[in-house]
Amino acid sequence: MQTSLRKFNLSQWLALLILIAGSAIVLVPLLWTVSTSLKTPAEVFGDSFFPQKWIWSNYSDAVRAIPFFLFLRNTLIILVPVMIGTVFTGALCAYGFARFNFRGKQTLFLILLATMMLPSQVTLIPTFLLFKQVGLTNSFLPLILPAFFGGLGGGAFNIFLIRQFMRGIPRELDESAFVDGANRWQIFIRIMAPLSKAPLIAVSIFTFMGVWNDFQGPLIYLNSNEKYTLALGLSMFKGMYNVEWNMLMAATILIMLPALILFFIAQKYFIEGISISSAVKG
Amino acid sequence: MNNTKSDRAGYLFILPWLLGLVIFTLGPMIFSLILSFSKWDVITGVESIQYVGLDNFKAIFHDPLFYQSLKVTFIFALVSVPLFQVASILIAVLLNMRSRGMKFFRLIYFMPSVIPAVATSMMWVMIFNPEYGILNEALGWFGIQGPAWLQDPNYALGALIVMGLWGIGNTIIIYLSGLQGVPEDLYEAGELDGAGIFRRFFSITLPMITPTIFFNLIMGIIGGFQYFTQAFVMTNGGPLNSTLFYNLYLYNKAFIEFDMGYASALSWILFIIILLFTLLVIRSSSFWVYYQGDDRD
Repeated sequence: MQTSLRKFNLSQWLALLILIAGSAIVLVPLLWTVSTSLKTPAEVFGDSFFPQKWIWSNYSDAVRAIPFFLFLRNTLIILVPVMIGTVFTGALCAYGFARFNFRGKQTLFLILLATMMLPSQVTLIPTFLLFKQVGLTNSFLPLILPAFFGGLGGGAFNIFLIRQFMRGIPRELDESAFVDGANRWQIFIRIMAPLSKAPLIAVSIFTFMGVWNDFQGPLIYLNSNEKYTLALGLSMFKGMYNVEWNMLMAATILIMLPALILFFIAQKYFIEGISISSAVKG
Repeated sequence: MNNTKSDRAGYLFILPWLLGLVIFTLGPMIFSLILSFSKWDVITGVESIQYVGLDNFKAIFHDPLFYQSLKVTFIFALVSVPLFQVASILIAVLLNMRSRGMKFFRLIYFMPSVIPAVATSMMWVMIFNPEYGILNEALGWFGIQGPAWLQDPNYALGALIVMGLWGIGNTIIIYLSGLQGVPEDLYEAGELDGAGIFRRFFSITLPMITPTIFFNLIMGIIGGFQYFTQAFVMTNGGPLNSTLFYNLYLYNKAFIEFDMGYASALSWILFIIILLFTLLVIRSSSFWVYYQGDDRD
């Protein structure tokens, strides 16, 4: 049911006009940031939207002035184990909730859902103090370890997402494997986990975004410059004497890019994930 | 497969989450509750935690900055939540039209929501800059002398709301999926009865998406209380505490002043406020939320 252009009536034209205006509002700030990142320092203060000449070297200067690759390395040191931990333990727990009938399961599942509503501030301070007591502050571990316990922030959303999907997998599949002598672990590794590829990819993507965007976590736990993540590092270079605005915008673009690229590759997961999260919590 | 022995294996599979629940949720909650009734400077050991009863809460209720942070957070929520809902519904209704290019528009509108908050903040610090920012320049074309935005206590909070409007893609998508759940025959019936576009919107669309509005309302209020990164990066609460969000104040108390007892008390007050609002919206929902398949009339 596609409407061709000549069938457009007045209200549809008006709608299109609003949509285009809205898109311009979304895109112009982004384009201006890109253009600023390619300007000379003098041009940044000028009136022109576009630079006279595109100065790509702003980018190489920026990654040197702001130790970009060091921050990138730090971010990856956190990101990789967090993704592994979240996906692996998330799938394990989801399987436990999806396929077993143990005592207290309903209650535990309700608690799981309830933890989604708990504001993170309540556990933030004591968790920080816990890591401080064991001498782990200013290390990456406080940002990594929780991922191996179902996922960051309790992992409730991830576990719920995977569990819903696993419940849709026909029971005959694991039952026949059980008859063939496979144990629960083998059923999980060989049947359930591979069949749950879709929610596992979704969880990986959300986890990537969560770690890449995380600001408050690194801010609280990482004190020394050489430990900073990209998100934290970028903000710390705001207004420093040796970092010009054009370079700062170049670094800003560099931090946006992986998130945007991932979004364009995997848009359907983003859009589905948002809809599911509203269905769960609403 | 239904024998109890093998079912008990379920505990093993959910063990990571169970442990996490104890170590990273329940344990900290209890500890935090104890802290909120105690005085403790973190430098000395755990043994110096001192029970002070309700002192933290009493101090909080006499703390002008506490009220300031509540005010900032509520103004932000009261202005931005309705504003974002109206804008999101408008865009979502338009995006729900059946015509070419909607997918493309959907991508554009959603894009800002995937950009890291720090990057968005840096970008808008630049945009709001009174001398060379693009916003005041654009306002200048219409002969409007723009304010100093983030440097002006009267405009800084407004600036953050404007910036928030830029990133409503998330909310738009939630409404869009709500709209796609509205049965087509309702519109057809409405059209047959001679209802125009606006009539159809207010009599069919709006009642059908009230559950979504309801969800977004709760999330919006909670979001106001969780607001941190943008305020920290862009204004750090200033100027003159005009953007001192609750969460930022809590952070300052805990991690700048290291007053962990006070900050823990603040975090429980935040928890209770969020809980109250959530319950309030849920209780009131039966008056105005329409769930399809409900017998209530």
